[in-house]
Amino acid sequence: MKANLIVVAALLFAFSGAASAGTVSGKVSGVNGESVVYIEAIAGKNFPGPTEKPVMDQKGLKFQPSLMAVQQGTTVEFLNSDTVAHNAFWISVGGNKKLAHNLGTWPQGQKKDFKFDNPGAVPLLCNVHPEMSAYIVVSPTPYFAVTDQSGSYKIENVPDGSYTVTAWHEGAKNQSKPVTVSGEGKADFTLSK
Amino acid sequence: MTIRPYLRAIYSSLPTFLLLASVSHAIPAFSRQYGTSCSTCHVDFPKLNDFGKAFKDAGFKFPKGDETFLKVAPVMLGAPAQKDIWPHTIFPGTIPGFPPIGIRFNTFFQVVSKNRNDINAGNLANPGTFIPRTDFQPGLFSIFMAGNFGSGIAFWVDDDISVGGSGANGGLGDGYLKFVNIGRLFKLPTDSLSLRIGQFELDLPFSPARSHNLSGWDIFDEANVGAMNSLVPLQNVNNAFALSSASQGVEISGGHTYSGYHYSLAVVNQNTGGTPSPGDTVQPVVGFVSDSNFKDLYGRFSYRFNLERDPASRNEVQAAGATGPRDHTYLNLGTFYFYGRSVQRFNGFSTDGVTPLVLTAREPFYRLGGDFSFNYHALNLYGLYLYGHDKNLLPFTTAGEGPNGFIGGVPATFSGGFLQADYMLLPWMMGIMRYDVVKSSADRINGFGAGVSPLSATRNRITPGIQFLIHANIKAAFEYQIRPQQTVFDTSGNQIAKPFRTNSAVADLEFVY
Repeated sequence: MKANLIVVAALLFAFSGAASAGTVSGKVSGVNGESVVYIEAIAGKNFPGPTEKPVMDQKGLKFQPSLMAVQQGTTVEFLNSDTVAHNAFWISVGGNKKLAHNLGTWPQGQKKDFKFDNPGAVPLLCNVHPEMSAYIVVSPTPYFAVTDQSGSYKIENVPDGSYTVTAWHEGAKNQSKPVTVSGEGKADFTLSK
Repeated sequence: MTIRPYLRAIYSSLPTFLLLASVSHAIPAFSRQYGTSCSTCHVDFPKLNDFGKAFKDAGFKFPKGDETFLKVAPVMLGAPAQKDIWPHTIFPGTIPGFPPIGIRFNTFFQVVSKNRNDINAGNLANPGTFIPRTDFQPGLFSIFMAGNFGSGIAFWVDDDISVGGSGANGGLGDGYLKFVNIGRLFKLPTDSLSLRIGQFELDLPFSPARSHNLSGWDIFDEANVGAMNSLVPLQNVNNAFALSSASQGVEISGGHTYSGYHYSLAVVNQNTGGTPSPGDTVQPVVGFVSDSNFKDLYGRFSYRFNLERDPASRNEVQAAGATGPRDHTYLNLGTFYFYGRSVQRFNGFSTDGVTPLVLTAREPFYRLGGDFSFNYHALNLYGLYLYGHDKNLLPFTTAGEGPNGFIGGVPATFSGGFLQADYMLLPWMMGIMRYDVVKSSADRINGFGAGVSPLSATRNRITPGIQFLIHANIKAAFEYQIRPQQTVFDTSGNQIAKPFRTNSAVADLEFVY
């Protein structure tokens, strides 16, 4: 009997959790290609950085991927897969030039870690191959998504509530909108440069 | 003797020399092919960084894994499986996926100091060309193609097609095929033997043809023309050969220009640029670059001492700097030697002293030099010393009405060199300081004629400069050429009242695409 009560309680908890984890979806228009949409910082909530380390590769004289979104506190591994020497540096994070950093140079096949503790867009550059560029967008929350090429996005596992959601695209002005998630929320953006 | 008209021609073209001695090329075709910027291979185009040198050494390919970097796939001239039929041949090969053509254009503006025409005024029956105080000069409009046909066969052709404009140079620069690492066919060490055939700039320590300087290094443009002064022993040298001249022939080379040893040996056409001189009536006029079976010889050997401290990147093409890849810290030492024969023709007589004959002097000469280059981070300090020696064959009359042979005279020699420092103040800004010196028994610039030739003249030049990369393919450059006073004497040994001392400011705007 006691065991049955525990199972029922667990199911109720699980269902209640599922009901409160919704999605935010929509479309980013006005620009071409991928954008990043993320939920801004939520007052009173702190999110520990994930343990997974996404890899930003330098291969064929390109950063791969050219756009990466990570949660604040994420450690990114920078890999050089080329047979030529590379460098990675950025002159700001979220426009803050005090957060500029240069990772130096490292041999082929090796990685160099960097933990992004500040939110905002990080423009990656290589100082010997100026044509190379990529962006890492650091989201203040774990609720973010990279749009597809048409601009459509879907952020999953967002708890019910009211938030501010922001869209970012290279060279465009950020746009923020309020969104209320009650199982589902919707926010469309039209960005301009 | 036909020296004076030649000297006059050179002197009158001084402004053109000042501006156009440097003909350089960067390769935007490679930018297209690999989807990369000029700075991958150049520190300040066309000056190569170590990666650019490695790219060139490899036959205009990435030294490792070239195919992974190509953004435009080459066109196969046969199925890859064809290689299985004759695995040890170079068949079937490839051509670049698009015509690898680049264009370069530049234009100059120069200001020459007020006393630029003093030496003209000081003379003389024929004052030569008047030099304007300020002048806009079109530079070159050059088309160039380069790439790789697969199997290590590289090609290069460049031509200045701006033959119609004022100050235009015109003509073929380099045009050659290079068979890279053919030593593999003989099981020699990798890259120890390559073969180049065609017209090419000699493998000089520092390339005048691909220099980033606005004006060429004086020593590389130095021709050897004997003294025409009654105060010194007679010289009959009229050798227009200069090391900056393009040569036609065959060259073998090996090693690398970016690390370790490097050598080259070339057999090239005899240079007959000094004969017949303008206005000469000697027949027959030679219509070919070379007029004898003798070929000139050139050799160079250099070794780069790698002083890089970072053990991880010491053996890589570039060093791993704290803020990005950079050239290694190194000291490069080299030497070079050229042996040739210059040709002069004279109206003379056979040994009977009566029968008219065209006499031909094939005069042995050599050029011997040494060079160094030291690099530390953004600073590159380099220099060169060169000694030139021409035997000086004098027309000699044994019998009859005129010369019918030659006898050795006092050799005509010159020496000099340069010392230059390049410093990358910013990734897009280079500061330059340079010192040129040429000491000649008959300095050609001042050798204005028998009346005023110097006994011996040392021509100095100090040239500070700065260059800005407006874009990776657009450059604005400025240099100020300071020429300390060079005294000129008349035949009595008296100094001419207004010695030659002309400073010039030159600004350049150029682009490649």
